[in-house]
Amino acid sequence: MPLPASPIFTIHAHFSKKKKKKKKISQKIDSLEGGLLVCFVMDQDLVETEKRRKREINIDPGLQWSQWQLLDSILPTGGFAHSFGLEAAIQARLVSGPDDLQNFVIHLLENTGSLLLPFVYSATMNPTLDNCQKLDRILDATLSNEVGRKASVSQGSSLMRVAASVFTELPSLKSMRDVCIGSGVVSFHHAPVFGIICGLLGMDSGTSQRAYIFMTMRDVISAATRLNLVGPLGAAVLQHRVASVAESMVKKWMDRSVEDACQTAPLLDTIQGCHTYLFSRLFCS
Amino acid sequence: MEMEKGKVVVEKVRGKSTVIRSFSKYPLKFITPRKVGSSITDAVWIYSLTYGGGIVSGDSISVEFTIGDGCTAVLTTQSSTKVYKSLGSKCSEQVLEARIGSGALFVVIPDPVTCFSTARYSQKQVFRVVSDSSLVIVDWFTSGRHESGEKWDFELYRSSNCIFAEGNQPVFLDTVLLEQSSPVDIAERMHEYQVIAMVLIYGPKLKHVQDQVQENVKRLMSQQLQIPSTRLGCCAKTNSDNCLVRPAFIASCSAFGPKGMGVVVRVASTTTEAVYRFLHHQLAGMEPLLGVSPYS
Repeated sequence: MPLPASPIFTIHAHFSKKKKKKKKISQKIDSLEGGLLVCFVMDQDLVETEKRRKREINIDPGLQWSQWQLLDSILPTGGFAHSFGLEAAIQARLVSGPDDLQNFVIHLLENTGSLLLPFVYSATMNPTLDNCQKLDRILDATLSNEVGRKASVSQGSSLMRVAASVFTELPSLKSMRDVCIGSGVVSFHHAPVFGIICGLLGMDSGTSQRAYIFMTMRDVISAATRLNLVGPLGAAVLQHRVASVAESMVKKWMDRSVEDACQTAPLLDTIQGCHTYLFSRLFCS
Repeated sequence: MEMEKGKVVVEKVRGKSTVIRSFSKYPLKFITPRKVGSSITDAVWIYSLTYGGGIVSGDSISVEFTIGDGCTAVLTTQSSTKVYKSLGSKCSEQVLEARIGSGALFVVIPDPVTCFSTARYSQKQVFRVVSDSSLVIVDWFTSGRHESGEKWDFELYRSSNCIFAEGNQPVFLDTVLLEQSSPVDIAERMHEYQVIAMVLIYGPKLKHVQDQVQENVKRLMSQQLQIPSTRLGCCAKTNSDNCLVRPAFIASCSAFGPKGMGVVVRVASTTTEAVYRFLHHQLAGMEPLLGVSPYS
């Protein structure tokens, strides 16, 4: 889906560049009309920001610290070892440049939304041991792609380990982990583990599902920079540009039951399955 | 909308797998020819036919299969299942439920489903197995009448395949959903691939087929995948074809289930013929069990 460049965004991008450029641009738009337009756009932005500021007053500050830490890429959950099939897609020549990359990211996010958000949702709403075990079993049968399944287990079990040590204010997290390890039948798949942590932290289910898509986007774009598809600045621009599509994916697939979990990108699944056939590879999946 | 129920029961009669009950209602019909393949093999072949060669908008077909202990049954079709244009928002659906007994083998090897433009189709297959049942499922669909330019033009395609072990334990749960109303249109998601297939091979009777397929797919794909020689970006400028050529056929294999008892192969292909050839080649090892090699 082609994304129209927003005029507001373009002007801001120019302004944030170095002084020299700023001068050049301001000369260009030195006419009265141009100046007015910029003032108008900036005023509009201020009004919007003010509105948003007022809305966010009620958020529990304690929760925010935990939320940010959970979503922070320095949380050592091993997410950076995975490319979500991107590396295989490059070697199959399905992705060969920034445009392909954007499509790949969008398809991946839709597939993540349709397949995994139901698990995040159920776990956030009902973060109990029983539900954790049930979701884990169902997801294990659902992720029939071995590459994807192993990636989910390795990220989920690290996340559970890290969260149990970090969020000590939630003793149930640690006890749940201990019971699951003791039982030996829980693989700790990533989506339900993430949902359970969100639920116990008191995050609402909308935020937890959006956050899950955000993390997927963050990790695949980060993989793309390490695979030399985009530079770090290009990656940041891409991430922001895709955000509105990602939000539409979240809206479409959020709050669904686990029985409705489905694949919407079968080609991507086939490609990801090829990861183990790659002769040389950087990533685990 | 009433479900049309069909029912087939296969049991051992004098030591041979035999269809002891077969019932179907319009538009569905089962044909069970006595002689498919050699008489030494113990397998019944069941052909599922629909009148008019396809499924009309709003059709709802439901069938039940019971494969008794130790029996072998094959369910197949004679040509692709065509799903015609939908009238209004009506969805056509097919439901299959099968129980596979101890030591039994059920082989579902149809031709592909082809959804015409605007068609809406939903299919659900549920297989109930015990610890030593064996099962083969081939489930595949094409982009439509792609030879005449109709590519990924249907409204909705949904296919579910589930395997449950004793105690309703999920072993394999898979649903593919392609719908036009999604934010990304289907054709774009599929690149130039026209056929998507899944081959599932499960159970103790098929260990040799599983090993062979895994080895074949690995060998096939290892040759196809490589780090592009020309670095990114320059391809478009130089306009050289060789660095952009994608494999016409992609397959990957995964083990699943308790103790890796199952293998699932996912395939994407630019042509239907290539998938027929692949299926024929990969399932040829089943000939001794079925009397005839599938897709021959």
